[in-house]
Amino acid sequence: MDGQGIELVNVTKIYKNAGTEKTALKDITLTIQPGEYVGLMGMNGSGKSTLARLCNGLIKPTRGKVYVDGMDTSCPENTTEIRRLVGMVFQNPDNQLICPVVEEEIAFGPENLGLSITEINSRIAWALQALGLENQRHHAPHLLSGGQKQKVALASVLAMLPDYLILDEPTSMLDPASRWELMEHLRALNTQKGMTIILSSHNPDDLIHANRLIVIDQGSIYLQGTPAEVYAQESELADIGLEPPGIYQLINLLEEEHNIADNVKSIAELVDKICPK
Amino acid sequence: MNGIKLGQYVHGNSLIHALDPRTKIICCIIIIMAVFINYSWYHLFFYVLLMITVIKISGMSLKFVLNSLRNIRYLLLVTFILQAFLTSGEPVLMLGKLSITREGLILGTTNLFRLIILYLGSMVLLMTTSPIKLSAGIESLLLPLNKLKIPVHNFTTILSISFRFIPTLIEEATTIKNAQRSRGAQFDSPKIMVRLKSYLAILIPLFEASLLRAEDLGEAMDSRCYTGHPNGLRMSSLKFKYKDTVTLCFMVAVLFAGVIISSIS
Repeated sequence: MDGQGIELVNVTKIYKNAGTEKTALKDITLTIQPGEYVGLMGMNGSGKSTLARLCNGLIKPTRGKVYVDGMDTSCPENTTEIRRLVGMVFQNPDNQLICPVVEEEIAFGPENLGLSITEINSRIAWALQALGLENQRHHAPHLLSGGQKQKVALASVLAMLPDYLILDEPTSMLDPASRWELMEHLRALNTQKGMTIILSSHNPDDLIHANRLIVIDQGSIYLQGTPAEVYAQESELADIGLEPPGIYQLINLLEEEHNIADNVKSIAELVDKICPK
Repeated sequence: MNGIKLGQYVHGNSLIHALDPRTKIICCIIIIMAVFINYSWYHLFFYVLLMITVIKISGMSLKFVLNSLRNIRYLLLVTFILQAFLTSGEPVLMLGKLSITREGLILGTTNLFRLIILYLGSMVLLMTTSPIKLSAGIESLLLPLNKLKIPVHNFTTILSISFRFIPTLIEEATTIKNAQRSRGAQFDSPKIMVRLKSYLAILIPLFEASLLRAEDLGEAMDSRCYTGHPNGLRMSSLKFKYKDTVTLCFMVAVLFAGVIISSIS
C-alpha cells in the first residue's frame, strides 16, 4: 500500500430538507491509515452512513475537507479515481445489484473503468474465486440467497481492485452463518491483501476483527481505540445504547469481579489467563 | 408446457435457439416488412406456413403457440369487424344502415392474417431468445446510433435494469399483497370497487418502495463509476456464425421473391 489514507479535516455535514436542517456529522477530524481495519460503531442515525458516504465522494461535506490519498473529494475531476480507489458495499443486497446475471454484475465496475474484455474476464474469474462464487457465475441475482447476494455485491466491488473498502451495515440483512462468512472474507482481504477496510455496523460482534473502533454518537466521535480499549468502557457504551460483544462482557466481568482478565487484549490471552499452561 | 407464460423464454437447443439474437431481431423486422409489402392471399399463406415451420424447428409446441392466439382474439375480432364494416365497396350484407362489403371482408381477412403472422414472429423471437441475449442484440444493433449522439448505452442500461428488477418487484408486490390481505384487504371481493381499492393499497407502497430502491441503485451505480459505457462483456458473447448468414440471406430472398412475384402478377 503506497497511498496516504483517508483524511477527514473538520468535516461537518448538514442535510437540508424542506426548510429543516439536520446535522449528521459535527466537526469530525479523522485519519484512516492504509492497511487499517476500522470499525464504525453507533446507533441508527448516529452518522455512520454519512461518514462512510463522505469517504468515497458520494456526498460532499458541508464544511471541512475529505482527502483520499491526498485527493480532495469535493473536486469533480477526482471523483472517478476516488471511486475506483474506494469501493463501497451497501446495506441492502437487493438494491445494489444492477445487472440480470452475476458475471455481468461483476463486470459492471471494470467496464465503467474502460478495461479490456480480457482484463475484465480475468477479474471476474478472480473475484468469483476469491469469494467462492464460481458456481453462481451465470445465475440471476434474484435467485441467490441474501448471503450470496451480498457476496456478489462484494465481488463486484473487489473486481475494481480498490485500495479501500467501505461496507455500510452489510450484515444487517444476513443470517448468522452468512454474516460470519462475510466477516472472514473481510479479515482475509485485510490481512492477506493489505486492503484497508472500513466497516460500519450497529452489531458489535461484526467489529471484533477491527484494529480500531470508532464509536459515533449524534454526529461526533464518542470513543476511539482498539476493540479491547473501547469494549472495556462498558458503562460509557451503555449510556448511548450500545453494549460490547458477549466475549468482552465476560472479560469485563472477570476483571471487575475477580481481577483475572487485566490487560487482556484477545480471546487467546483470556484463555491463557484462565487456564495457564 | 404448463406454467409457461406467454412470450417467456423457454430454454432449448434448436437451430432457432442457436441463432444470434441480432439475426432473429432482423428476421422479425423482415417479416414485418414482408407482410406490409406483400399481402395477397398466396403471400400470406406462404408466410403462415413459414412461421409454422419455424415454430416446428424451434421445438416449441405448435398447439401451445396457436392456443395462445386466444390472448389477442379481441384485437383480431375488432380489427376484422371494423374493416368489414368501414371499407367502402360492393355490399354483401346489409344490417340496418351498416353494410358489410366484399372489399371489407377481403381487407379484414388480410389484416387478420397480417396480425397473426406478426404475433407468431414476435412469439418465436421472445420464446427462443433469453432476455439477456435479446438486450445484447438490441444494444449491438442500436450501437451505430451513438454516432448521432443518441445515448444508446443509457437506453440499454434501462432495459437491463428492468430485466433485473422485474422478479424483485414481483416478489415485493406479493409480500405487500400478503401483508394487506392479513390486515383484511379483500382481493377476491365480488364488488369491483372493493377489489380496486384493495389493489390500490398494493400499488402505492410498491411505487414508494421502487423510488427508494431507485435511489439506492443510483448510489450503487455512482460508486462503481457508472459512465454509460457499452456492455462489452455481454456483446462479446454475441457471435455471428455461418447459419446466421444463411438465415438472413434466406429471409431477404423471401422478401424480394414476394415483391417480384407481386410485380409480375
